[in-house]
Amino acid sequence: MIGLSGILCRMIPEKDEGRLKKYSATVLHVGALVSEFTEAGILVFFGESAPQELYEFSVIHDGKSLEADLVPGDRIFLDGEPFVILAVGEVANTNFRNLGHLVMKFNGETQVEMPGDVCVEKKQLVWLHPGSKIEIIGEEIA
Amino acid sequence: MAEYKKLVIKHGPGGWGGPLVIEPKPGREVIASITGGGIHPLAQKIADLTGGVVKDGFRGGVPFDQIACAVIDCGGTARVGVYPMKKVPTVDIYPTKPSGPLFRFITEEFFVSGVRVQDLENNNNNNK
Repeated sequence: MIGLSGILCRMIPEKDEGRLKKYSATVLHVGALVSEFTEAGILVFFGESAPQELYEFSVIHDGKSLEADLVPGDRIFLDGEPFVILAVGEVANTNFRNLGHLVMKFNGETQVEMPGDVCVEKKQLVWLHPGSKIEIIGEEIA
Repeated sequence: MAEYKKLVIKHGPGGWGGPLVIEPKPGREVIASITGGGIHPLAQKIADLTGGVVKDGFRGGVPFDQIACAVIDCGGTARVGVYPMKKVPTVDIYPTKPSGPLFRFITEEFFVSGVRVQDLENNNNNNK
């Protein structure tokens, strides 16, 4: 764990040439029971077509298209704070593509526990709110 | 007047939980497909076998208390917990086991996983 306060306000790097922006979304809604998951180091995202019944546990966003499958090494930026992807479950990309559904586990694991998981670095997760930005940037293109 | 039938759903290969007994009732007759890419064939099959009404949960939600059975394609964390927590019989097409923050709600009484269309047919042939 490192102190992050100094870079909390850092924005997404401007030098995006040579990198692929895979996904971009704005948070629309943060459910009242999202804390049930964040306490376990998990953030659950769904696209805005998710049924209302899932809203209370989810971060709902307006993301539409996934440009390329998520792979380890990609970085997920939550309000500018980067989280390196360490592992991607076998159904995670399908769920993300179809439903905007992403299960982010901030556990530092390089092997997923469940097939829908996307594991990222173990560090303080970012508290999202309506208007927060989600961006996913791929590794450098060769 | 719709005619409803009981359906027993056992877990598929590598799956967990159940058996569930799905029995639509007036006012609680929806087989909700909470899955990507439209109505899942498993949800359609459950509707066909029970007389329930199949709906795509991602095209207008279905209140929990109208769902006779929720079919999900959950990778193990969120939907596996949310529907059983609301005491909705829940069928995951993936062979998941209880996990995640809501694992305590994922019980054999309300959850079954790894179910394929052919498992429904086998189950019903085998029902005593």
